[in-house]
Amino acid sequence: MTSCYIGIRSFTELWKSSAYLRIGTRQSYSSLFLKSYYGFRNQHKWFSLKAPSPQNTKAMNLLMAKTKYLRKEDESNDMQVSSDLPHLFAAGAAKKRSQMNPQNKDNALPLMRDTIQLPTKPLNSEEWEKLKEDFKGKANFENWIISQMIRCHSSLDVAKSLLAWVASKKDGIVGYDILVKYLYLCVFHKQTSEVIDVYEIMKTRYKCVESGGNTLLIRGLMHSDRWREALLLLEDMKKVMIPSKTNYNDCIQGALLHKDINLAWNLYQELLGHGLNPMLETLKAFFDFGKDIKDDQYSKNLLNILFYLRNNQLYPGESFAHSIKTWFESIPGKKWKGQFTTIQKSGQCLGCGKTIESIHLSPEEYAFLKGKILSDVIDGGDQYKKTTPQELKRFKNFVNYCPPFDIVIDGLNVAKMIPKVRESQVLLNVVSQLAKKNLRLLVLGRKHMLQQSFRWRKDEMEKVQKQASCFFADNISEDDPFLLYATLHSGNHCKFVTKDLMRDHKACLPDSRTQRLFFKWQQGHQLAIFNVFPGSKIIFQPILNYDTVVQTTGDSWHIPYDEDLVERYSCEVPNKWLCLHRKT
Amino acid sequence: MPVFLKMSVTFLRPFARLLVPLTLHGKKRILYSTILQRCVSSKIPAVSYPNTENTSPPEQLELDSWKITMKSSMQEDVSKVSSSKDEDPLAATRELIEMWRLLGREVPEYISEEELKTVMECVSKSSKKKYLKYLYVKEKVKKAKQIKKQMKAEANEKAKKERLLESTKEDKQDFLFLRLWDRNMDIAMGWKGAQAMQFGQPLVFDMAYDDYMNPKEMQYTVSQLLESEGWNRRNVDPFHIYFCNLKTEGSYHRELVKRYGEKWNKLLLTATEKSYVDIFPKDSIIYLTADSPNVMTSFKHDKIYIVGSFVDKHMHPGASLAKAKRLKLATECLPLDKYLQWDSGTKNLTLDQMMRILLCLKNTGSWEEALKFVPRRKHTGYMEVSQYSHEFVNKLKKSKALNSFPKGFLNRPKRRWLE
Repeated sequence: MTSCYIGIRSFTELWKSSAYLRIGTRQSYSSLFLKSYYGFRNQHKWFSLKAPSPQNTKAMNLLMAKTKYLRKEDESNDMQVSSDLPHLFAAGAAKKRSQMNPQNKDNALPLMRDTIQLPTKPLNSEEWEKLKEDFKGKANFENWIISQMIRCHSSLDVAKSLLAWVASKKDGIVGYDILVKYLYLCVFHKQTSEVIDVYEIMKTRYKCVESGGNTLLIRGLMHSDRWREALLLLEDMKKVMIPSKTNYNDCIQGALLHKDINLAWNLYQELLGHGLNPMLETLKAFFDFGKDIKDDQYSKNLLNILFYLRNNQLYPGESFAHSIKTWFESIPGKKWKGQFTTIQKSGQCLGCGKTIESIHLSPEEYAFLKGKILSDVIDGGDQYKKTTPQELKRFKNFVNYCPPFDIVIDGLNVAKMIPKVRESQVLLNVVSQLAKKNLRLLVLGRKHMLQQSFRWRKDEMEKVQKQASCFFADNISEDDPFLLYATLHSGNHCKFVTKDLMRDHKACLPDSRTQRLFFKWQQGHQLAIFNVFPGSKIIFQPILNYDTVVQTTGDSWHIPYDEDLVERYSCEVPNKWLCLHRKT
Repeated sequence: MPVFLKMSVTFLRPFARLLVPLTLHGKKRILYSTILQRCVSSKIPAVSYPNTENTSPPEQLELDSWKITMKSSMQEDVSKVSSSKDEDPLAATRELIEMWRLLGREVPEYISEEELKTVMECVSKSSKKKYLKYLYVKEKVKKAKQIKKQMKAEANEKAKKERLLESTKEDKQDFLFLRLWDRNMDIAMGWKGAQAMQFGQPLVFDMAYDDYMNPKEMQYTVSQLLESEGWNRRNVDPFHIYFCNLKTEGSYHRELVKRYGEKWNKLLLTATEKSYVDIFPKDSIIYLTADSPNVMTSFKHDKIYIVGSFVDKHMHPGASLAKAKRLKLATECLPLDKYLQWDSGTKNLTLDQMMRILLCLKNTGSWEEALKFVPRRKHTGYMEVSQYSHEFVNKLKKSKALNSFPKGFLNRPKRRWLE
């Protein structure tokens, strides 16, 4: 009942605002926002209805807190900028979408682990013996107890007493596994002298140390005076396998700590040479260290890191963004000024007013992407997988014969948007609304849509065909690849309408560069319908017309970054920016 | 018929033997976990109390003594270690694996030179770990088998001794038959197989998927083929099996010959390099694939069913459907959703499951009976017939009702918000 009521209310709201609105203007966002807000209210109610259940009230409380938090975030968003309806690929948008769907019950309960009270003080042998007698688990007692200590971060002395007891039992020998776990505790508590002791023991006792122990040793030794020996350990690891990015991170941080800049940069180059993606902490460390260095080469390298971020479409975290800002502001004589802003819908930075790079692809990139979509997504080595050669030929002829379209519609996706309403009716509604704007439309679908049935009415489909060009693929063919190609073929102005995020088609593309190109094009050309109420004006989620990527114009830098509290899915882009410009 | 009866008895026996240890094992595990929980929850917190009392009288604990012994006791080893330090990556890898084993990782205890090379050739760290785990599990299974074998041999010896003691007392009974069951059964199955070769319904295995599979998947496929051939052989009315598109010296062929050995040339089936479209009329062929939009309603005795011998671990969706589309063949899939409440897992069944389902359909024609071979973990149970038919009737009613109503009638309530 409540949802129905809310639906009606927000519908009237929509109705009022949409009467004199074009697609995608600012006011419509605010009205939409109201609706999404209602969505949350609704969910909240659902929780409070369920709350009285006697068991696991704790979990329930947690859930309540979660929703409250989300609501708060929501409201704060509302306060900041009225036009802040997230676009389809904005950070956190997918999560919001999933929460608006009331069927999607978030019943992931937190795992409750019964906390075990471990000894808090060092024990002597008899006490350990006694403890062991009480333990009747399947696992090896010594191993199990030290694992528990690691979990609870027990103090080193307790662990030491355990090791002493183990050693006394086995004439002075402690097993490697226990030693490594002890080492973990040492590293965790930053007890450098202990780390060095364990290092000595391992060196004398074992020919080589495996990767886990090595990682710990490197991390522990890097803070000591014997940090150069950690580099030898890194060399040892290289003999068998490529060290991980964490290992490199530790080494680089250690080198920077001991002011060996060249070594740090060499390690960084080596890391890139192995094809590993550096951790953002590593990059942040370079920036943090850069504050105290006034050296042209060093700053050039730092700018190269920024270009690396740009080329790989990586976004710094919030603290990293702060580091970048402080570094820029610390450059003497250049007077950089940094601020955290957002970008306006028009693509202008709120901080400095400069226009952000356009989302549109260059002609070469565009042609390249078009070719790749045809060869890898539609064809994919076997034309029969997604279509048939006959159909492909028919489609190509069709596309070549028609003049370029303005909007390509995924008929099935649009038609199934509203449950419980007849598919053909929804499709007709969308098509006729778009046709009124004098847009050249193409509707892609499957042949079964043409057959008269309960869901697909013939007369409505005929009306659709009158208002738009249509292409119907075979029932067992995929229609999405055709949609992509038709849009690309029509040119840069052409957009496509679907709610599908096209991740499976993106995955068909051969390398990450092409995938990023596809994603960039998709951000600029995909229209997702936002309203869920049949009969009302269609409102699309706003399209970005600027590219979310690290960018520079020489005397300014714009760097998008991830906020710490927002969970961003991999198919989304951040919406906060760091704007850096030089005072003139 | 009597031959068949006997067979079923002998087949049941090994299963019965298998069942007992399995259930026992399961119970044991539950027992362990309950013990563990109990002791975790109750005993340990209790112990921590005496600690605090004990430490109040200052009892000097020697915390660092173990380090001295660890360091000093190894002094002798140092010379050995430093001398054997060479730059051989193979040896280094062996060392690494040994260290991992000490750490309790899932790596094999013994590793051959060849396996070590395979480890080195693995591209990524995770593939190395995966391969090592595979070796570890293999080693474990092998060891367990050996132990079992030993125990069995011991038990046999014991039984033999006892029998020797007994047999001296007993005198021999009269028997009608010599104990030659296995051989007789083989011969009987051979006769049936020959009959099937002449008059049996063809069942085709399409062997044109070698490009899609890696060596491991190929091994799985051939194991499944062996299994299905075995099931077919033992049936009352076997299919006439065709291995079509089987390239001589191709990877399928190599693996099959390796597994069957000398038996390969004596198998009562047709292996051919030709395609099924060249052997059979196109309109009687039905390609079975889970991706098919058409659902199989009944088993037709005049059709030729094709099963793709393809284990797809890497997700090539629609590979077999594409094949059938290219050759313009009819396709069908099993009516799994119609009869079973599907729970999890793919609808792609293994080749031997397909074989048993098809054999069962051929002999009885009952879907309920045939779909017993679908693994139980994949579905929660059979659809209740009444429920399904109820749904079906409802659907029919709906569509009929819709068609019979005048057009305006249904539109009227919706028009309100259409405008």
